[in-house]
Amino acid sequence: MNDFVFDRRRLLSWSAQGLGATALLHLLQRDGVLSAQEQTHLPAKVKRAVQITLVGGLSHLDSFDPKPELRRRHGQTLRMEHQPDTFFNQIGLLRRNDFDFQRCGRSGLEISNLFPHIAEHADELTVLRSMVADSANHTPALFVLNSGFPLNGYPALGGWLSFGLGSEADDLPSYVVLPDDRGEANGGASNWTAGFLPAQHQGVAFGSGPNPVGNLVPASPISAAEEEASRAFLRETNLAHVARRGDDADLSARVRSYELAARMQLAVPRVADLADEPVSVRSLYGIDRPETADAGRRCLLARRLLERGVRFVQVYSGGPIAGSPRRSWDAHENVRENHSAEARRIDQPVAALLADLKRRGMLDDTLVLFTTEFGRTPFTQSGAGTVGAGRDHNRYGFSCWLAGAGLKKGIAHGATDEVGWKAVVDPVTWNDFHATVLHLFGIDHERLTFYHNGIRRRLTNVHGHVVNDILA
Amino acid sequence: MLRLISLIFAILLTAIATPCAAGEKVDFDQQVAPILAERCLGCHSGAKPKGGLDLTGSKAVLKGTKNGPAVIAGKPEESPLWTRVEAGEMPPKKPLSAEEKVILKTWIAKGAGWGTDPIDPLRMTAKQRAGFDWWSLKPLRRPVPPKGGDAAWPINPIDRFVLERLDFAGLKPSAEADRRTLIRRLSLDLLGLPPTWEEVDAFVRDERPDAYERLVDRLLASPHYGERWAQHWLDVVRYGESGGFERNDPRRNSWHYRDWVVQAFSADMPYDQFCRLQLAGDILQPGDPDAIKASGYLVAGIHNTVLPGIKALQDAAFHEELEDLVGNVGQTFLGMTANCARCHDHKFDPISQIDYYRLASALSGVRHGEAELPSPNFKAETDRISAALAEIAKRLTEMDAPIRKEIMAARKAPVASGPAPIAAWDFREGGKDRIGNLHAQPSGGARFTSDGLVLDGKLAFARTVAIPRMLREKTLEAWVRLANLDQRGGAVITIEEGDKFDAIVFGEQEAKRWMAGSDFFRRTKSAGGPLETAAPSRPVHIAIAYRADGTIAVYRDGLPYGQSYVSSGPQSFNANQAHIKFGNRHGVPGGNKMLAGIVERARLYDRALTNDEIAISAKVENFVTETELVACLTEPQRAKRTDLLKQRAELETQLAKVKPGKGAKAYTNRPVMPQTMRVMHRGQVSEPGNVVSPGGVAALGKADFKLEPNVAEGTRRVKLAEWITSPENPLFARVMVNRLWHHHFGIGIVETPSDFGFNGGRPSHPELLDWLASEFVERGYRLKEMHRLIATSRTYRQSSMPKIDGLKKDAESRLLWRKRPMRIEGEVLRDSLLAVTGLLDRSVGGQGFSDYKENNNAGTTYFDPIDPVGPQFHRRSLYRFRPRSASQGLLDAFDCPDTAGSAPRRNVTTTPLQALALWNGPFALRMADTLADRIRKAKAPEGEVVASYRLVLQRDPTMEERGRATRLVEQHGVRALARVLFNSNEFLVIE
Repeated sequence: MNDFVFDRRRLLSWSAQGLGATALLHLLQRDGVLSAQEQTHLPAKVKRAVQITLVGGLSHLDSFDPKPELRRRHGQTLRMEHQPDTFFNQIGLLRRNDFDFQRCGRSGLEISNLFPHIAEHADELTVLRSMVADSANHTPALFVLNSGFPLNGYPALGGWLSFGLGSEADDLPSYVVLPDDRGEANGGASNWTAGFLPAQHQGVAFGSGPNPVGNLVPASPISAAEEEASRAFLRETNLAHVARRGDDADLSARVRSYELAARMQLAVPRVADLADEPVSVRSLYGIDRPETADAGRRCLLARRLLERGVRFVQVYSGGPIAGSPRRSWDAHENVRENHSAEARRIDQPVAALLADLKRRGMLDDTLVLFTTEFGRTPFTQSGAGTVGAGRDHNRYGFSCWLAGAGLKKGIAHGATDEVGWKAVVDPVTWNDFHATVLHLFGIDHERLTFYHNGIRRRLTNVHGHVVNDILA
Repeated sequence: MLRLISLIFAILLTAIATPCAAGEKVDFDQQVAPILAERCLGCHSGAKPKGGLDLTGSKAVLKGTKNGPAVIAGKPEESPLWTRVEAGEMPPKKPLSAEEKVILKTWIAKGAGWGTDPIDPLRMTAKQRAGFDWWSLKPLRRPVPPKGGDAAWPINPIDRFVLERLDFAGLKPSAEADRRTLIRRLSLDLLGLPPTWEEVDAFVRDERPDAYERLVDRLLASPHYGERWAQHWLDVVRYGESGGFERNDPRRNSWHYRDWVVQAFSADMPYDQFCRLQLAGDILQPGDPDAIKASGYLVAGIHNTVLPGIKALQDAAFHEELEDLVGNVGQTFLGMTANCARCHDHKFDPISQIDYYRLASALSGVRHGEAELPSPNFKAETDRISAALAEIAKRLTEMDAPIRKEIMAARKAPVASGPAPIAAWDFREGGKDRIGNLHAQPSGGARFTSDGLVLDGKLAFARTVAIPRMLREKTLEAWVRLANLDQRGGAVITIEEGDKFDAIVFGEQEAKRWMAGSDFFRRTKSAGGPLETAAPSRPVHIAIAYRADGTIAVYRDGLPYGQSYVSSGPQSFNANQAHIKFGNRHGVPGGNKMLAGIVERARLYDRALTNDEIAISAKVENFVTETELVACLTEPQRAKRTDLLKQRAELETQLAKVKPGKGAKAYTNRPVMPQTMRVMHRGQVSEPGNVVSPGGVAALGKADFKLEPNVAEGTRRVKLAEWITSPENPLFARVMVNRLWHHHFGIGIVETPSDFGFNGGRPSHPELLDWLASEFVERGYRLKEMHRLIATSRTYRQSSMPKIDGLKKDAESRLLWRKRPMRIEGEVLRDSLLAVTGLLDRSVGGQGFSDYKENNNAGTTYFDPIDPVGPQFHRRSLYRFRPRSASQGLLDAFDCPDTAGSAPRRNVTTTPLQALALWNGPFALRMADTLADRIRKAKAPEGEVVASYRLVLQRDPTMEERGRATRLVEQHGVRALARVLFNSNEFLVIE
């Protein structure tokens, strides 16, 4: 009958989410009792990551996947066996790329002149040219990019890393999200939710300004003397309470949480204040120019957060998906105009982040991810028999890249067909992508699980294979 | 940390595993079948097993196929099955473990005895999975509460079960908590609100022996009990007030469901009824506003309103949402994760993929939408008048029947007496109604001849005056010759009111077939009868009966024509509003609506005739006319009859006037007739397989609902609700009493309230769980009785103080050597702050309030949390607008779940961000200011410090506290003290 164990260690298992259990776990991590690096399944190549997320769908054909054949077949009809899953179902003729490709760096990796600054770092990049997505619909596709599931409510990659590895910083959240100034992407906070994981693993969205996180300072003015006296009395009240009734782990955890909060109050404004960065660094990121100011500030902030022990930072490029003019990479109308404008905002800042991380030696144990929901179609979104200027969603083939430790650099993995319609060589799903990222962190994606409503949930659902070919 | 987690899993798995029985007798079903099922049958089964080897049945394995037997009993070394495995060739990628190999070899060596044949991998519980014999699927039994231990301690049977378990572990229960702790515990637990200091004081002084029981009763009778426990339910059913996904449209009218849940808890609605109404209320109680609200359950979850232009993608999106619904139904009512069986049989529980699609079929007509709620008195009025009408009908029949019999008997050439129509026409003699006054007027060139009513198929038709009776159940009957068999859509006889109609139609949807025509085919389906061939050469008899349950049956020449089916009907036609037409399907004459042919005779009945009655009617030509009948009555009978008919007419007029009214709109289920469900291979809509009928999970029994795959939508959900709430379903009661236990004690007897399967927890007190569940059934599924039982137990009343031996042996206090301390939930925190500051608006129900700034950005709604000031924002948190994908500020920090998914047990975390939200957040500070104001204004004689402690913690400060607090208040005001008390453990924890 008694086939379960009453055991303090069970506090760490799926069964324990009672009061105090996760609190204790959380504090143990912070106390360094369980140092993350010694505990991973595999040798960890990286300790932290930054993910640049392009909302709306970057055209791989105009950025990282050169297709000379597409240029040759401009204006022709693409013959397809099945009706394609685009979004608007307006299938025009094939269109050549709007941006020309060059061989870059010593590796000769081909990148288009859409991203001239990023192209300078070609030798650091590991391009995946055979990504495939589950959905050609923005919001489900963005959910899959983040969490591996097309629905609201599943924990994001950053949350899983926080859950698996904790934070190296006591005084900062372990997962920070930096949304585009133009607004949050569709799905809003669902994109960085902790889902069913405990709350401390949700992404904390930093706004701009000196106090980017809510409640850092009292909402109404309180003098330093009152603050100090109140804190002292709270501590005393709680300790007296513990003394009266006996020690319970959860009660002392609460006492500790107020001490950590006090440290966070100091640390967050300090990391967000870019004033102590030299002018040269600020201008490297393009903070001094209007078109790059927003992304530049956020890329620089990302580096500072990583530097101080934050596990995962996500930088969004693109705001809400709908509306006119476009505020994302969703180039249904005109790829040249849309992508030029969007790339101007992030090309220099992202390149600066790569350069800065490298200069500081951080690229040796930091991972940079450059991701987008899906790619765009080789044929235009226009009436049949016409060549339009825009491209529709393409979930069958697109490009993302990684940079950092543990990877083969300056290579392109996988391939789409001759016109870039479908991934045909070594397709990589988001489950594969996530499995590979976890692998670089030293985590076996099949073993990082959390029990929820009947299933030991994984970031990779029941799928996913590490893309071994890109590992160094 | 990862290593530790893996270690724990290893410990758990080992604990569950049956030790290897090498050398002993091997149990085929328990040990061998699971290995074959998990490791071999993936390839070696089905229509085309790999290598021609099928391992599912004994015959193929032991007797062999063309390659000889795979296993030779007693001789592993000669059995290819073993030699291939031993050589590591099979299974090809992952070889069997050493332990599995021993089992396999031993089994062959010991004679290769077979068990269940063919292997049913779901049937038996095995090392890695649950079978039909899993503990939670076993029938409820009612264990006898154990006797023994300290006889003085138990108050009720719960305590006996708990005490036995404690004794076994060498632990002692804790003493009863003090009175202040008890009343705080009960108030926060049952109402989600703290008591006032005055209430605490009164309870502490109450010397009556049943003071505690009286308190429990008082709290259970409070309207705030329903609010508190509704929130727990809403967590489980993932009730949210926006659609999620891209647009995240707010649902302004979904709160009707929330209010219905509150009312149902407060009124102590029996739990089985509570569930039936949520699953099928709209069908079981049509027109009942409460049932419409209850059906909001079905659409409580996420719903994507932005869909791609491609059908395949739309279907895929539909099936994603259907999985979410099937998952929630299974988890909420049954503690079963049926959603895990969408792509393949459940990996851990005995739920097959077919089971999943049966459930999916039962729920596949559910659609999101809004319905206008009938005005509150609509149902009462309709019920009242309908009952009176039924009574009159009964009395009329009692009076008429003997006289009809006499008249028929007196006729010279008596014929068999058929059912009594309310109108009958013999068009060979003109348009006269032979029963009453529904005479037919020809129009558009229609004429009466000795053959009948001749219709040209162009503009000719005939119609009657308005029918003086309301008709719901009915039968249409006619004899007709068709001018040709190629016509497509003319009607022989139609009952019509405005846009609504029911008709006998020829050839419209299917050439040469009869069908029951209706407005927009709403009640039309193919009956699938044979193609018509005779109608041009002779009059054929056609009838359609419309039954009360929606069944529509077509007849030809007195015999059933094809299959009867369930429709959304029967459609009501109001007295004096509807008429009968011949030859014109509906509406303006012309087009394919017109019949070409001759209608010889026709009849109308005010009820659905049975098969036998129609068989007789097809041959009967003689009727007792109204005139004949009346002539035979005595004067007093005639007067009485006239009076009854007058009453009937009045009632029918009244009924027609009762309008649903312009009620409020409610977000609810707007079902459609779904497509026939198929099992989707690997869950992919692009790979549809066999058709399935609506049904349940086989492991729970009675899973075959005996329905056709294309049965009417409503029938599916009614059957599902019956199956789920059946007293024979052990999970139904077990799961709910465990939910109650979970909320009362902070952890369930089964610690995974929505999962009683293999991956879920095992009961800490299995007998207690069954005892509670059988008690629940016996007490008519009354929740309040169960609360009372639990809350008045000695177990519940224990102190929550830690004890060293208890913590050592049972850190989670699952054996209940004490009451676990529980941190209050976010909603309770917010409500408590409003309560102690005196701001709380305690009004129950109605539209809620929003503390969001909504920002519609090009069709997508974003919700930014704000801290609005004003009395309208002082209602309980249950009434907060609850959009998805939105930050909830303070409540987020205190683990209020995002309603994207079900939260049967909330996380409880302690984080720095939580501390910051309560220490610095605008709401908490405003509450501190408010409390300070309240105390200043009250000028209480006991002083500001004592008043603060009494309001917030319902006690007086200790001497030390009083000294320090006074200094704080003197230097920084009452606000500083209030802030400290709000952040204190004592305020935040239910002790």
